[in-house]
Amino acid sequence: MTILGEFALWISLPVAAWGMILGYAGGRTQRGDLVLSAERSIYAVFGLLLLASAGVSAAFLGDRFEYWYVASYSNANLELFYKVTGLWAGQRGSLLFWALLLGFFASITVFTNRQKNREFMPYVAGVLQSILLFFIVVLLFADVNPFERLDFTPADGQGLNPQLQNYWMTIHPPTLYLGFTSFTIPFAFAIAALLNGRLDARWIQLTRRWILTSWFFLSVGIVFGMRWAYEELGWGGYWFWDPVENASLLPWLTATAFLHSIQIQENRGMLKVWNMSLVLMTFLLTIFATFLTRSGLIESVHSFAQELKIAYIFLSFMGGVLATCVILIVYRLPQLRSENQIESFLSRESAFLFNNLLLLGAAFSVMWGTMFPLISEGVTGQEISVGPPFFEKVNLPIGIVLLALVGIGPVIAWRRATKRNLQRNFATPVIVGLVTAAGLWIGGARHELALVTWSVSAFVLTIIFTEFWKGTRARARIEGEGYALAFFHLVSRNRRRWGGYIVHVGFVMMCIAFAGAAYNTDNRFNVQPGDVVEVTSPFGHTYQLTYEGLSVSIGRGQRNLLWQAIATVSVAQNGDPKGILTTEKRQYTNRNTQPMTEVGIRSILREDLYLILSALNDTNGALNNQPGAQGIDLQVLIKPLVNWIWIGCFMLAIGTVIALWPSVDRRRLPGGEKTSEREAALAGAD
Amino acid sequence: MTLYLGVALVAAAVVLFIIQPVAKGIHASLEREDDEMTDTEARKRVALLALRDVEYDFLAGKLDEEDYRSLKSELTAEALAALEADDAAKSAEGAAPADFDVDLEAEIAAIRQGLRDGAACPDCSYTNEAGSRFCSACGRALGELAAR
Repeated sequence: MTILGEFALWISLPVAAWGMILGYAGGRTQRGDLVLSAERSIYAVFGLLLLASAGVSAAFLGDRFEYWYVASYSNANLELFYKVTGLWAGQRGSLLFWALLLGFFASITVFTNRQKNREFMPYVAGVLQSILLFFIVVLLFADVNPFERLDFTPADGQGLNPQLQNYWMTIHPPTLYLGFTSFTIPFAFAIAALLNGRLDARWIQLTRRWILTSWFFLSVGIVFGMRWAYEELGWGGYWFWDPVENASLLPWLTATAFLHSIQIQENRGMLKVWNMSLVLMTFLLTIFATFLTRSGLIESVHSFAQELKIAYIFLSFMGGVLATCVILIVYRLPQLRSENQIESFLSRESAFLFNNLLLLGAAFSVMWGTMFPLISEGVTGQEISVGPPFFEKVNLPIGIVLLALVGIGPVIAWRRATKRNLQRNFATPVIVGLVTAAGLWIGGARHELALVTWSVSAFVLTIIFTEFWKGTRARARIEGEGYALAFFHLVSRNRRRWGGYIVHVGFVMMCIAFAGAAYNTDNRFNVQPGDVVEVTSPFGHTYQLTYEGLSVSIGRGQRNLLWQAIATVSVAQNGDPKGILTTEKRQYTNRNTQPMTEVGIRSILREDLYLILSALNDTNGALNNQPGAQGIDLQVLIKPLVNWIWIGCFMLAIGTVIALWPSVDRRRLPGGEKTSEREAALAGAD
Repeated sequence: MTLYLGVALVAAAVVLFIIQPVAKGIHASLEREDDEMTDTEARKRVALLALRDVEYDFLAGKLDEEDYRSLKSELTAEALAALEADDAAKSAEGAAPADFDVDLEAEIAAIRQGLRDGAACPDCSYTNEAGSRFCSACGRALGELAAR
């Protein structure tokens, strides 16, 4: 099976090349047979990549340690679950996995468009095959072949990094990859539009669902990563502006900008060049993210120097794509002229534009902060680290203005807003925002940035809820429906608008939660069994924590565990018992790693109580069950509002799904009711 | 041996599958489909959607009367221009109009009818149904009543 997979990978190389050439040639000569062959080659490449991936998985499941990749990321004792997910545990497999997902999405695209949008398809097939070909070339020629064999067969593998042996870590990378790879489809359509000269908003309408799908997976994937960091890394945070995290944030920022700016092109025929540039930028950033995380560049420029081949291949591919796209855009510039102009600074158009500039500004600063240490190390040989303070200083203000725009955008008038329009819609929300700030101030909140964030959030939420309320009320009045039904119809008749608002509510929730970090508390205690420590929450109540003791178990290699020390702590809040929490240290057999920490979290809506077993006073004594060796260092963190990140993400996901949900074409229904003009107006425009 | 046979089979199947269209001359269509919007249709749709948006903003109370009227008359003029352009394109092509959106077609018909019958209010340019005697937006007398 594994050898068959290896051959399949080799066969896919000429097939992808064939499809690429025939796609472009078929589009140029308008020969349907060439195009059909190119489209079929996409199915073929997908099938071959599937065989190759099955080959890698078979090697994992069969403990075939003669393969370098299996020997490096698995061992005989590894849980079955992690052997199954071994395909994307390391660089080599995940490059193959990436290509596989792209092949899958490409096949869906070809299949769903077999009867329609035919004038785009030759070039779409050509572009998709070019990118598939690129990944196949990387896999085969950049020293990252997952089928590479060792000269000998080790008795056992080195095992999987214990930090990766976590539930979230197995679903976080695939989710992100789904987001990255599905963005290739809008990119392919954009290039096809540039090649075939159909430069109206058609390519955007065709790929709107793909853009949203990709955005959905990117957002959820990033939050899964935060969740993993929060639960597994054991330092109590969810975001560290680490290059790997930044790499996934970059395409998200530009994709978000794109998602907003396409609405201006659809509604007003403006920003055509801008949208082309954004789709190109986002695509390049998805490739860049893979490059950054999967080339070894991240660890240090020095380790990177050993992997020059993959760097050259990636950089020349990105350079080639960039050059081609710039040439195409310049060539089509006359047809990309704007149909309208922005009439006023105070208008929804300019709010959208401003949103775009801010998102790009954030992307640029993140890019700069991520690349600067690498560039400086490359040039001067000295590593200068750019830590969270830099990113926070730049991005927090941008984030707050963006947050305010979330509220301003939907109610400011298109074209030009008058003073009356502004007064009518903003007076109440501004008052609510100010009252919120004043209330929090009186309640004792003094952190400026957090206060501003919460006050702006209140402003935005007021606007969004007013929107829902006004829409529902108008509908209930005119159609004579009850409020619940009117609300349901309101959302279902224009999913795109109202789904978008729900996404915004989710985003606001997350911002509120992020600001809660200003009130994190962190205390460290050295405790013996029976000791009680007290910590006070920013909300005013007090936790009494009783350290009950340590229980140590010595493993015999099951689940790769050498030993496990579990500290048990009973929790009481203002004297009320609230159950027990455990936090542990684990030593895994493989990789000579430090003991891993598992944290204990008690999560309620307003805050998380987060316990870390920082250190054992006497590790050897504890392992030998000496009664006097039960002392530990216990770190107690209180993290206000953290839960709202996950709840906000859930809202965001629901909103996206609503916006994505296909609308039933009522024209096609038998005896389909005709919508009245009023109702059409009530649904609101897209 | 079995392995190489398997590889050869896979390779042969792939080659057959992708070569077949070229060898046998099976053609995929490269034509635009008929029911797809033309450029002028798309423009018309955008103009009408903008009208709809203003109507919604007014009904939901986001725009006041005065802003609503000035925006509406501006957008109506634009929509009409788009309609004429589309009609011109259609008659040049000699094709029947595509029924891409019945809702909007109804809206177009209402607007056009209104303008033709003089039921568009001269004051606020709200499009009243044919035969209206008063403007349903601002109450101004219309048609014969106004002439009297």
